[in-house]
Amino acid sequence: MAAGFLISILTGVLLYFLPALQVALRDTGQVNTSLGGSAQLKPVSASENLSTTSPFTLLLLGSDSDSKFNGDYLTQSMILTRVDPATKHVTMLSIPRDLWVRLCTGANGKIDQAFLHGGAQCAIQTVERDLNVHIDYYAWIGLQGLVSVLNELGGVNVIANNPVMDDYYPADLSGGNPYDYERILVLPGAQHMSGTLALEYVRARHDDAYGDFARSQRQQQILIALRAKTKYVSIADIPTLATSLGANFQTDMSIGQVSGLLPIAGSVPLSAIAQVVLLPPYTSSVYVGGQDALMPNWALIRPEVAKYFPVAS
Amino acid sequence: MLASGLAANRTLAVLQTHTTAASIITTTSPQVKLPGTIYVSQEGSIYAISGAKVRRLALPSGGVWTQPRVLADGSLLVIRRFDQYSDLYHVSASGHILAQMTSDDQATGNATLQLDHWILWPAIGPDGTTVYFATDSPKPAPNKSYEVDFSLWSSPLSTPFTIGDTGVSGGTRWSVPDLYTGGDIEPVPLPDGGVLYSSYANTGKGTVVTVLGLQTGPTSPMKALTTPQQDCGAPAVAADGVTVAMVCTNAGQTANLEIATLQGNTLGPLHVVVANCLCNSPSWSSTGDDLLYMNASNPDGNFGLWYIADAGGVHPGTARRVSDSSVDLDATSAAAWSSR
Repeated sequence: MAAGFLISILTGVLLYFLPALQVALRDTGQVNTSLGGSAQLKPVSASENLSTTSPFTLLLLGSDSDSKFNGDYLTQSMILTRVDPATKHVTMLSIPRDLWVRLCTGANGKIDQAFLHGGAQCAIQTVERDLNVHIDYYAWIGLQGLVSVLNELGGVNVIANNPVMDDYYPADLSGGNPYDYERILVLPGAQHMSGTLALEYVRARHDDAYGDFARSQRQQQILIALRAKTKYVSIADIPTLATSLGANFQTDMSIGQVSGLLPIAGSVPLSAIAQVVLLPPYTSSVYVGGQDALMPNWALIRPEVAKYFPVAS
Repeated sequence: MLASGLAANRTLAVLQTHTTAASIITTTSPQVKLPGTIYVSQEGSIYAISGAKVRRLALPSGGVWTQPRVLADGSLLVIRRFDQYSDLYHVSASGHILAQMTSDDQATGNATLQLDHWILWPAIGPDGTTVYFATDSPKPAPNKSYEVDFSLWSSPLSTPFTIGDTGVSGGTRWSVPDLYTGGDIEPVPLPDGGVLYSSYANTGKGTVVTVLGLQTGPTSPMKALTTPQQDCGAPAVAADGVTVAMVCTNAGQTANLEIATLQGNTLGPLHVVVANCLCNSPSWSSTGDDLLYMNASNPDGNFGLWYIADAGGVHPGTARRVSDSSVDLDATSAAAWSSR
């Protein structure tokens, strides 16, 4: 039960407001490979179609990036997303961090180790092979970047499903001992969440009947809530957002691929967003390799995944 | 960190295009002037709205003051929440502390933070001398277990009480929560001695849902008045003792504000009064059918105080926003409406 996780929320931010960043860059004639700090964004090429209409898949990766990890990041959150700009349909599949798979290295392990062993490319290869899907792009976000950007965006309005309580929540963002704990409580019902509160909502898991599964559902919930924020991002905001992201963001998306997302982000109705979480019987709890893990039932998972995502070629 | 999270609001939004920083309610004028005094929470303070005037209660600084409840004499019960725990206070209408009802700061004398406790959702019993509330005590194995869920208790208001590792000293335990769900919250004492509340339960199918639960006594079994599919919580009972307002999500990501009549141990048909909203924390006027609730007018809007006249009647009024649209209130803190 190592302290700390996170989250793809900010990866969700990317999904939703990166288009705005990209459009802003395009509109100003700037083509930067960096948004500030070490945040990375591919430059646009002249051949790219700026009005993306074809469906694409994006692997959202979220990591605790506090001082405990010293750059050796696991991915506490993996959400495979398919966006169809033409139909404005979005599908989000949360991949459990404890899923026991064959990693890109050839060894067996939890899927959250793929990023540790080989960065985003290893995470992509692992997911592509194990789930038999094709992934077009990835975006990775660190925990602290998530909080900063959510705060810059003014937080989000969310209906918390139930009281989210955790007496062993990692106290790793307050500047003290990153291995300390703190108590957190997120009240149920509709409310405005700051970046910190949203992080607690999606990161807590110890007093939760469904642990990581419930957390995955909450992560998707925050991603959906972020749709309402796209209208607030403009050219003038880029320096602020880039500063917030700093080294807490990487992606291989380019301006061309993402610019078409902007009109979609705020207009996708809730009914057009499919949320998928791999609960039992798709997975089962096991003790393997000296640790608790989730054993995938590929015979069930792959056909289900194939309903929503393109099969690997 | 939690306190800062609660206190944070849109004033943190520094995006240059996001210019609608929330206003403190005292700098604005209520859009609807209602009789009596309405107490709301914003950014950790309690504010009193009296007609066109708004004043801040002179409560001590530190922590987040929330969830006010009005006693018959016009004084208030208020929760003061810190990062790791909360306490119940009895204060005057001006904010002067009359009594600190709980003192649960284990952190000052004990580094084991898991021994701290939450107390929230205070409610005053029909006799006016008993407070009902939710607390995460007892924990089955503090500092040895992840389990921390709310259960319902009541305790006399005549003297401060202690929330300890084994329960509430001198208090009466009402409910035993479904573990790892958040538990039982938002008690509403009924005139006949029963308690209506929100009960969270594990469906066994990958979800946690809430139902309105009814108990006739501290040891009685809970009767579910709504279905898990309706996913209803945040009950508020009108002065007639039978008209119930609640928030139902139907397991979705928007909510409905709904009203039903409690007939003995059965809840009548639910009627939607506000649909597809971000509604939360309904509460009634002390004397009649007028309903207050929190809502954001759009997915990114500020949470404001809203009002429906005669909400429980045959011809309810139109929903009207009481607080200015620039004000962002604590949506998890129901407004308390005093006739004074």
